[in-house]
Amino acid sequence: MTMKAHVISRTTTAILAMALTTATQAADWIKLASKPGSKVRMEGTSSIHDWYAESAIIRGTFEVEPEFLTDKTLQSVKSLTTRETNPKAEIAIPVRSLKSSSGQKMDEIMQEAMNMKEHRDIVFKVKEMALQGEPDAAGNARFETVGDLTVAGKTQPCKLVVALQRLDGERFKFSGETKLKMTDFGITPPSPNIPGMSRITTGDEVTVKFEWLVGTAAPAK
Amino acid sequence: MKPHETTELNRREFLRGTSATAMMSLLGGVPILAAESTPPATSYKGETPPVKVGVIGCGTWGREILKTLSTISFGPVVAVCDNYPAFLKRGAALAPNAERYGDYTKLLDNRDVEAVVVATPTHLHKDIVLAALAAGKHVYCEAPLATTVEDARAIAAAARKQLKVNFQPGLQVRSDLQIVKLLEFVRTGVLGTPLKGRSQFHRKMSWRVAAATPEREQAMNWRLHRATSIGLVGELGVHHLDLANWFLNGLPTAVMGVGAISFYKDGRDVFDNVQTLLRYPNGTHYSFEATLGNSFDAEMGVFFGTDCAIMMRERRAWMFKEVDAPLLGWEVYAVKESFYKESGIVLRAGATKQDAQKEARKGEDVVDPKSALQYALENFLINSGNLAAGVKDFAESYGEGSDEDLRAYLQDLAKKRANAADALDGYRATVTAIKANEALIKGEPITFAREWFEVS
Repeated sequence: MTMKAHVISRTTTAILAMALTTATQAADWIKLASKPGSKVRMEGTSSIHDWYAESAIIRGTFEVEPEFLTDKTLQSVKSLTTRETNPKAEIAIPVRSLKSSSGQKMDEIMQEAMNMKEHRDIVFKVKEMALQGEPDAAGNARFETVGDLTVAGKTQPCKLVVALQRLDGERFKFSGETKLKMTDFGITPPSPNIPGMSRITTGDEVTVKFEWLVGTAAPAK
Repeated sequence: MKPHETTELNRREFLRGTSATAMMSLLGGVPILAAESTPPATSYKGETPPVKVGVIGCGTWGREILKTLSTISFGPVVAVCDNYPAFLKRGAALAPNAERYGDYTKLLDNRDVEAVVVATPTHLHKDIVLAALAAGKHVYCEAPLATTVEDARAIAAAARKQLKVNFQPGLQVRSDLQIVKLLEFVRTGVLGTPLKGRSQFHRKMSWRVAAATPEREQAMNWRLHRATSIGLVGELGVHHLDLANWFLNGLPTAVMGVGAISFYKDGRDVFDNVQTLLRYPNGTHYSFEATLGNSFDAEMGVFFGTDCAIMMRERRAWMFKEVDAPLLGWEVYAVKESFYKESGIVLRAGATKQDAQKEARKGEDVVDPKSALQYALENFLINSGNLAAGVKDFAESYGEGSDEDLRAYLQDLAKKRANAADALDGYRATVTAIKANEALIKGEPITFAREWFEVS
């Protein structure tokens, strides 16, 4: 066997193994669905004033072992305590649902800057989630989280700390915040040229804060 | 070089300046800092998603609406309707790609139509609006909403019940950026203690329309008969009375007035000459007068307070200060215009000091190039599109969910609504106008009961 064929064979085996793992996960893991009350807020700066854009729409699911619901220590939830397995979580925020502090026209400019026609959602896909320290008595915990963030069709790795809050038996809140640069996603910060005024420039850096509610009741269709 | 190409601000520059300053008010501020290094300007224009419109009623006002819609890139007219073939033909000429309907129920069956504008005679609004709302169409209903309190209440109640559709009464002044900004200025307390307001509609015109047959003549002149019309104070005054409710920040407690058929004794039973007076809380009052027999001073309004009077006419506004009023500062530099022994300080939404002074040298009348109707229709389409998108995004993310969750989400979304009157504003303005007309006919004052202003 040549070296190349050997590599391919090993890769195939790895893929098969991953596929099998995924299959077993899907069989007994639970799927938590997005719930109303979720919110996301982006905060930025400009040469005239700070701005924000917010949305109450977060679409997505969180798949994890069923023990997640009851084990507040999370010790039996391997996907959240080890790096070998990880929860399956993907969220999407429709760009059109983001409403800015500056009104409709700025919303439209934001949509154009994010190329909404081709990429309607901002997407975050969790790749790793690992418990940081110990959960408290109420089961609230923090996780070092790594994922892929896709804005305007361009994907960048994203690392952040996500906090878990157990709201009641059936609902959970994941929250966190991270800083991004528009230019990392190929977005030119809006800088309109308005006659009779000095140029308004928007700062490249944006802080994103989110609160994602998930629950056990019937998932979104 | 032609004179208008000199360094003086010409009209085109002014218009550009207006959109820039309107843009600035959208951004919510004025520049205070220059950027350290200025990047090249971006070319983002932004695009409003289109909402497909059907127009029901192609009379004079319906055609004005069609003309205005033709200037709005995101309001394609896909259907027009009128039960009078000659009007339908004229309406269709303004929207060549639209389907034509003689029956509004057929237009409402057209799934392509997302929003409708109802511009039929007032007494015919109710059935059409209720059917349109039931069909899930966004509705822009001309003001007044109806000729009876019962019909107006039925419309407003149905509109408020339908969470997923946008309803806007045709009180276009509520969307007019010039007036919206003026109100913000008034809310800073510039009037001092508010005293009173007055407004008028003066025009030499019969209000009668010629028609080919007696039946058609009767139908087209619905404005001239009490059975189908709430007269001048209703059809024209409703916008003024709404402005009074809005600016005086309250609802009238009583109304009285006089009216007569003074000039057009042609078989009509609707007055052609009216004066109406409304009492508002806190010692303020408001009068509206209208005549079809004289055109002096046309259409205008004034609000009076202990510190100044603010006059509105031809979509412009001026402030006349009392000598003992506190100095605001900026008015020292502002443009002033003379009105027989008085000097009015020009008020205009978003004008910069430089623009104002250039304008003063030019001495030309400047009016916002966008009409109040255009603002109103644009905002109706924007709000309709945003509401529909919000409803869809919510369902896709959270399933159908409960009505309370959806309602909470939509209430939050409504905080970002583009300036527009809502169902309650439309209802209250209509009730004010109906009762004002009733007081004229009875020749007796009417005391408003608070519950008349409640929809449910």
